[in-house]
Amino acid sequence: MDKQLDLLQGTLDMLILKAASLGPLHGYGILLRIQQISKDRLEIQQGSLYPALYRLEHQGWITSEWGESENKRKAKFYRLTTAGKRRLQAETENWNSMADVIAGILGTKPEEV
Amino acid sequence: MTLWSRFRSWWSVTLRRARMESEMDAEIRFHIEAYAADLMRGGIPRQEAMRRARIEFGGIERVKEEGREARGVSFLDEFFQDLRHGQRVLRKSPGFAIVAVLTLALGIGATTAIFSVVNAVLLRPLAIEDSARVVLLQEQWKGSAGDVSVGNFNDIKKQSSSYAEVSCSNNASFNLETQGIPERVDGEIATFNYFATFGVQPIAGRVFTADEDKPGHAPVVVISERFWRTSLHADSAVIGKPIRVNGLPTTVVGVMPKSFDPLLSNSNLWVPEAFTPAQLADHDDHYLNVMARLKPGVTTAQAQSELAVIAQRLQQEYPLDDADRGLRIQQLASVLLGDQRLSLRMMLAAVGFLLLIACANIANLQLARSRTRQREIALRAALGASPNRIVRQLLTENVVLGLAGGAAGVLLAYWALSWIIVHGPAEMPRLDQSRIDASALAFACGVTLLSSFLFGLAPALRSAATRLNEVFKSTSGIVGGSRDHVRSLLVVGEVALALVLMVGAGLLIRSALLVSHVDPGFDTSNVVVGRVGLPDAGYHDPVVARQTFERMISAIAALPGVESAAVVSRAPLAGGGSSNGLLAEGKPLDLANLVNSQLQIVSPSYLSTARVPLKSGRDFTPQDTREHTFVAIVNETLARAMWPGENPIGKRFACCEAGPKGRMDPVWHEIVGVVADVRAQGLDRQPQPAFYIPLAQMPAAAWDWIGRTMDLVVRTRGSVVPVRELQSTVASVAPAVPIYRLSSMQQKISSTLERSHFDTFLLAIFAATALLLSSVGIYGVLSYMVAQRTRDIGIRIALGASQRQIVWDVLGIGVRLVGIGLAIGLASALAATRLLSSLLYGVRPTDAVTFISVSLILLVVALIAGYLPARRATRVDPIVALRYE
Repeated sequence: MDKQLDLLQGTLDMLILKAASLGPLHGYGILLRIQQISKDRLEIQQGSLYPALYRLEHQGWITSEWGESENKRKAKFYRLTTAGKRRLQAETENWNSMADVIAGILGTKPEEV
Repeated sequence: MTLWSRFRSWWSVTLRRARMESEMDAEIRFHIEAYAADLMRGGIPRQEAMRRARIEFGGIERVKEEGREARGVSFLDEFFQDLRHGQRVLRKSPGFAIVAVLTLALGIGATTAIFSVVNAVLLRPLAIEDSARVVLLQEQWKGSAGDVSVGNFNDIKKQSSSYAEVSCSNNASFNLETQGIPERVDGEIATFNYFATFGVQPIAGRVFTADEDKPGHAPVVVISERFWRTSLHADSAVIGKPIRVNGLPTTVVGVMPKSFDPLLSNSNLWVPEAFTPAQLADHDDHYLNVMARLKPGVTTAQAQSELAVIAQRLQQEYPLDDADRGLRIQQLASVLLGDQRLSLRMMLAAVGFLLLIACANIANLQLARSRTRQREIALRAALGASPNRIVRQLLTENVVLGLAGGAAGVLLAYWALSWIIVHGPAEMPRLDQSRIDASALAFACGVTLLSSFLFGLAPALRSAATRLNEVFKSTSGIVGGSRDHVRSLLVVGEVALALVLMVGAGLLIRSALLVSHVDPGFDTSNVVVGRVGLPDAGYHDPVVARQTFERMISAIAALPGVESAAVVSRAPLAGGGSSNGLLAEGKPLDLANLVNSQLQIVSPSYLSTARVPLKSGRDFTPQDTREHTFVAIVNETLARAMWPGENPIGKRFACCEAGPKGRMDPVWHEIVGVVADVRAQGLDRQPQPAFYIPLAQMPAAAWDWIGRTMDLVVRTRGSVVPVRELQSTVASVAPAVPIYRLSSMQQKISSTLERSHFDTFLLAIFAATALLLSSVGIYGVLSYMVAQRTRDIGIRIALGASQRQIVWDVLGIGVRLVGIGLAIGLASALAATRLLSSLLYGVRPTDAVTFISVSLILLVVALIAGYLPARRATRVDPIVALRYE
């Protein structure tokens, strides 16, 4: 396993939105999916997931309903709303341009200044 | 985020909180179990897997708390939590809670009751359509505003263009026979557009037409809802029926709604003015109330400048009547309610002060408690409560206290208001409509919340600023005494406010005492007064009217228990009356030379019956008739005004009527006597120039000025008012004519003083309560200080300080606080009492006696309040105090 990275501040929401955009998931499923996609390179405090979920739900970007899990247990499934899709798109664009800028700055060589 | 989702979230927060909690539990449990199951699949035993799952999940309670916060639930949730907590805390200290709730109830109750009165009397709009546009138009002459003459009214109506309607009315009372019993009913004689001016429609029938408002038309009447209900048994077929008004069958054409009383004169019926051409040309008799409705878009200032032009035209056209006469308009509401404003505002300020003092007291108690609760609060802070959170919790505790106090206060207000309505001055319009209604309750709620914050904020902020290490370091659990400034400041403030209230009450009390010692100018004991009005029908002939009154006088004088009887056109303190401009003989006829003087038409026996002292000359005799020299008796004020430094007996003035050669032909009256001044307008009013002329010499036209109405004045042998005998005697002389407003002179005097006594009484109660509350405040601060310094006092006693020294030390602190409070209070009172000057009689607003005696009272009470804790200080046992450490 590679070295785990601490999550950048404010990025958890974005990751949750992305995970939920791939299909309805319960909280634990979202955690697993983020870990799976990131190949376990991100360290996520499990408990911190839920306040973030409630916050996103309160803001109307995701919605939830009770359903049955793979092993026939009652679980709450989260799904992206239309507003959430727009939000994810905006956040993704924002992140990408931010990443470009940062990478550009960090990649600057002395002769380029 | 959409509004809808926000709302949904809030909805689930408030209504499904319990469900949400269980869902959150289930969700977290599912997470942990699912993770544990995954771990178990990796070969870890179940128990260990569950343990690891829980550890990796993190603090469940913290997650839930953050989750609640994320959903915006926390504030409300915590508020209810705090409410419950506050309730528990208060239940644990019932002594404090009871004192605080009672104090607060006193403040909120008094404020709410007075607010309800202010709301009913001043704030509630008059029952008039768009009342801001309705103005009262008055004449102005020699600096005072007065009623308008018919001629001027007519000209103003024709020449002005600012108004949608210009109407007028004059107050009158009518003899009515509705159920065989003669009664006297107050009403108005009004022009047909009177009702349109106020924009009010009748609830049944119609108002008069322009045709009915012309001379010679069959009489019609519009009646009030009250009269319709009480005197006509709410007869649904009343419209079109005749009732007897002043002996004439008069058709009822309409019923006005209950709320319709635009001039606040308790009018029960309205009949048309139906001015004759002669009346319309008369610019000399000024008796009309003129009301007008401004056209839309016309401002009061524009209308006023138009009036100035009209006034100038009138002055040039009718120099004899209208020279120097101006015209002005004012909003009707401000004229009608203007008198009430000062004293009601004073009351509102007084109860506001009371509320502030109550809040200061509770804040003081809270501060004392916050000291002893420091450990509890420090513990909460140590467990992670933020300062913000602690302030909120303490404030919520205060809201609990406030709500309890508010509820008790509203009960108190209910009781106080019903008392005020019964005992309040009858002349205060709309007082009886005061209610604890929705707006009063809203006011009480607002006051409650505001005061909760007022008395709670300082203690809460201080508690939140508590430094943990200091609390836990201190062995006694109480941190230093250096921050008592807030408490001292509160006491200083209380004393200052109480002093202002006490000075106000003191001034009013002193003024009331002075008024009660004023000599009314005649012997008021065993005098009975009642009013008799003869209807025009049957008594139109002046001789018949005079003889009827003369027969009444002799019939009443013959009654057992009656010493003598007389009539006067307006008895002292009966209100109203007419005045005349008098011209002394030898002075040129010019308005500037006229002396305005109250006219009294009297039977020869009046001055002796009322026992108005004769200063010089002679009284009237039955021989003073129109066949003999016209005579008059003047009061001392008039004698001084007309003939300063001279003997007025034998001098003459022109008044009351014109000679056969027209208006410029004076009719001279010779002064035969001078009598003492009578305070006819009220004991607290300066006597005005007044003159008396005999009934047998009055001009025929004067019967119309006084509406054929006279006051019977009867001197009895005992103090009993012979109501039944007087009624039957009057009715035996003039059938179907009632005697009304029948009461003893003493009662009339006390009713004119009712208002100022009521103000004085209320303010005195408020001041006494303020005094009590602030002495409790002083007591509290000193007690607390003694308790806190037990050790110091113990040491001083151990070192040999005498009891007296200890007492003086403690009292000294109290006296210093009170001294500062007194100084601030005296300065503020000096500034504030100026506003009272129009309510005072014979006392200056800066009256030194009042200021000094009130300060002394406050100081003595403060010393008594401070003495109790001082005594306690001397009983400190030095051994115990020192061992305490």
